[in-house]
Amino acid sequence: MLIEIAQFLTILSTGLFFLNFLFAFFFDSSDRHMASLVSKVYTHSSLLLATSFFIYVWLAVSDNFSVLYIAQHSNSNLPTFYKITSIWSAHEGSMFLWILFLVLWGALFNFVTQNSQDLKIKSMGVISIIIVGFLLFLLLTSNPFETILPIAPANGADINPVLQDPALAIHPPFLYMGYIGFVIAFAHAIAFMVEGNPSIKWESLVRTWSIAAWVFLTIGITLGSWWAYYELGWGGYWFWDPVENVALMPWLAATAFIHSLSVSSKSSSLRIWTILLSIIVFSLSLFGAFIVRSGIIDSVHSFANDPERGLYLLTFIGILIIGSMTLFSSRLSMLSSGSVIKTFSKESFISINNIFFGVLVFSTMLGILYPLIYESIYEQKISVGAPFYNAIFVPMAVLACIFLFFSIGAKWQRKLVISSFVNSISLSVFISGFLVLLAYKLLSIHGIWELISIFAGSIIIVRYLFVIWDYLSKKKYSNPFSVIAHIGLGILMISISLNNELSSERALNIKINQSDTYQGYQIKLTDLKLVNQPNHDSIQAIFLVTDPIGNNFYLKPEKRKYFARGQITTETDIHVTLLKDIYITIGDQLKDGSWIVNIQFNYFIRWIWFSAIMMGFAGVMLIVSLNRTR
Amino acid sequence: MKFILRTFVIILPIALISFFYLYINDNDYYPGADYRNYDLPQFELTELYSNADISNEDLEGTYLINVWASWCITCRVEHGFLAKLSNQNIPITGINYKDEREDAIKWINKFGDPYKLIIHDYKGSLALDMGVTGAPETFLISNGEVLVHYRGEVNNMIWQDVFIPVITKYELFK
Amino acid sequence: MKAIRQKRLITVFVILIFSGLGSFLIFKALDSNLDFFFTPSELIERTIPDNKRIKIGGMVLEGSVIRDKTNITFQITDYKHSIAVNFDGVVPDLFKEGSGVVALGYLDNGIVYAEQILAKHDENYMPPGMDIEK
Repeated sequence: MLIEIAQFLTILSTGLFFLNFLFAFFFDSSDRHMASLVSKVYTHSSLLLATSFFIYVWLAVSDNFSVLYIAQHSNSNLPTFYKITSIWSAHEGSMFLWILFLVLWGALFNFVTQNSQDLKIKSMGVISIIIVGFLLFLLLTSNPFETILPIAPANGADINPVLQDPALAIHPPFLYMGYIGFVIAFAHAIAFMVEGNPSIKWESLVRTWSIAAWVFLTIGITLGSWWAYYELGWGGYWFWDPVENVALMPWLAATAFIHSLSVSSKSSSLRIWTILLSIIVFSLSLFGAFIVRSGIIDSVHSFANDPERGLYLLTFIGILIIGSMTLFSSRLSMLSSGSVIKTFSKESFISINNIFFGVLVFSTMLGILYPLIYESIYEQKISVGAPFYNAIFVPMAVLACIFLFFSIGAKWQRKLVISSFVNSISLSVFISGFLVLLAYKLLSIHGIWELISIFAGSIIIVRYLFVIWDYLSKKKYSNPFSVIAHIGLGILMISISLNNELSSERALNIKINQSDTYQGYQIKLTDLKLVNQPNHDSIQAIFLVTDPIGNNFYLKPEKRKYFARGQITTETDIHVTLLKDIYITIGDQLKDGSWIVNIQFNYFIRWIWFSAIMMGFAGVMLIVSLNRTR
Repeated sequence: MKFILRTFVIILPIALISFFYLYINDNDYYPGADYRNYDLPQFELTELYSNADISNEDLEGTYLINVWASWCITCRVEHGFLAKLSNQNIPITGINYKDEREDAIKWINKFGDPYKLIIHDYKGSLALDMGVTGAPETFLISNGEVLVHYRGEVNNMIWQDVFIPVITKYELFK
Repeated sequence: MKAIRQKRLITVFVILIFSGLGSFLIFKALDSNLDFFFTPSELIERTIPDNKRIKIGGMVLEGSVIRDKTNITFQITDYKHSIAVNFDGVVPDLFKEGSGVVALGYLDNGIVYAEQILAKHDENYMPPGMDIEK
């Protein structure tokens, strides 16, 4: 009964959202009563959908296996936390969550803004029609409410143990919140172009929302990277997997977007950019959903086996993208500000910055598409791996850093006078050159691109330290969010380079009670324990590691065999220090009783995530300050 | 300037979307389906009920192979459609995949048996040779050659879209 | 008026040159960094330069795995042809004789020196990106 109620609520809300779209677009939205009607209908329909979702959560928690999806992806032995997270472990449920978030962003926006705010009602209309599109997709092609009748199975499926992991369970919601959060900006851009009144400052209306979505996306990507690092046993933090790239593209475009927004909320000079970018960011988010859910790319084939899903999504996304682009090109003259961007003003630097991000998005897209195109032309399977992305991303990031370096101190609508910063610029270059020399001599880093990247990262950091110094000593104003986020970028550049150059790994062959040394670390296999757990047996190898100074610590990697389907998994163990991780995995046992052990020294890996968190933190601070000054 | 931007922002998305449209509608592309032909791998396993030895010689003619397990929820959903196929006199051989014998027999007793023969592949070795990634998966085989491999639930739509074209082309089950 | 038009023309020209040059560089980077995927039979038919990274996919031939400390040698087969693979390090959990495998590495004198071994996952309902275990 509950299942039918939940499904009915979803259908009902679909109808109401459609009605809301009609109200918002085809009646006079300047009418106060109409506006309040749209707002109210939206609130009620989102309550219906949220209720439906919570019933669904309850069905999962209470082990209602007559729901096909829950039977397939949950199990009564799971802890409640994983019963809930199992909802988004596959296609139907994660689509449901995606829609819930879409509805919630709209509801939050509806809740905190006045009905009389510019563009609000039309934006709500755009959001409503997008919700309807996704809800129809859910109900028609991927119904999560489908039941197994007449007899429900006594228990659910055996769950893949790899899925029972906190970071894996929580990073999709962050990513979804990020992707779909840009709907507010997109809806406003459409409403703005439809309304056709260039005096409305649409940029300042969406700035907070876009930064919030960007923060979610940043955190989601970081969590995903962290999960891949410890779970896959590979020691890497980024694999250029198509699914990762699909998350990276909206992030890159969104970063360009929020930079442009900061210009446009001061003057309207970059309006064409901001409108275009808001469409691109949202399109890339939707494109990601299409790639992941259509089964086009090999690594995701098991997400969906139904060709109708791909076709539906493609049609829906196609209409949205081509429709909004057509609207955009027909309103070009309304969007152009007429004001000329002064060379060497802050605006001019941010425009150039957009070009860098554009190249990165284009290259990533190419890396995803090229194998598909190549295969259909030459009938030869190919893949595009890390070397291609490195060849593009590294020089681009260095160039962007150098531009950023010279643009620090630039002012809005005024020409940057480089000569007033000559001291700190030359000092930064000097100090960074010295640091690169140190890296070369002391850490023996010889990779040319690594050295250049370290230089590029450190000129930014040092230059911003001067900015902070100026602020503290002379009370010279600086934008704290930009300082924090860009110092994060500098740290990211340096830590990626150091990680790339310093990290090393070695496979060792050790018998019990024997030891081996690697890079001055003595690794002794002291014990092997058989640990019996409710759902798996595990062999735990206990290593006593002695570092060069003589400190001891234990590392306990495991090899687990799950009863359910005899699946074997490897659990790494990691000793975290400030500069590096000592990361151990065990492989197979050889005939002579010895074990293959892989030891890795992963340098500065924590710093990579730390720098991403710094950027996210800067975003949060900016949101807080924007709303305080309002 | 505006002209370039205008064409660019419209042409590029249209090109992208039509590419994907063509890609999806391409006959060779069907998510989960694999039309490469290869010989059925050699195997020596046992029959589920009788524990009698089974090898390639026991399989002949044109038939489907369906990989299933009692732990697999989707297999239950698919089961009804397999029963329909079986009623249309299409022979189906089951491969019971990574499953305990008792569980599998209990499951068949509960939901019915559409299979001519069930191979008990406890370790999943035959399934592995056939490139099985999970359950359920279904193969169309004619005279020892695999013609279609489909990963996922077979229902009426998949049967019509994936299997029927191949069956018509080779004039099978006549 | 003429001056504006001239300026506009120059801008268009500069944009075209830069985007052309940029695309050229990107495509060049792409072309020199493609990993081709072959089966052992396809590999026999072609000559691959030894500095070209390739992917070989197939099954691990039964009885071909030889281990020497951390080093492992085995044959990848498509049951028509086979090719020897050499790798140093820990192979994935799902690496087994008779199971699916993909080796990424360089071909030298008929042996693939692998940088990476990927085992095909024999699980269904994997989340995106988990289809092949890294």
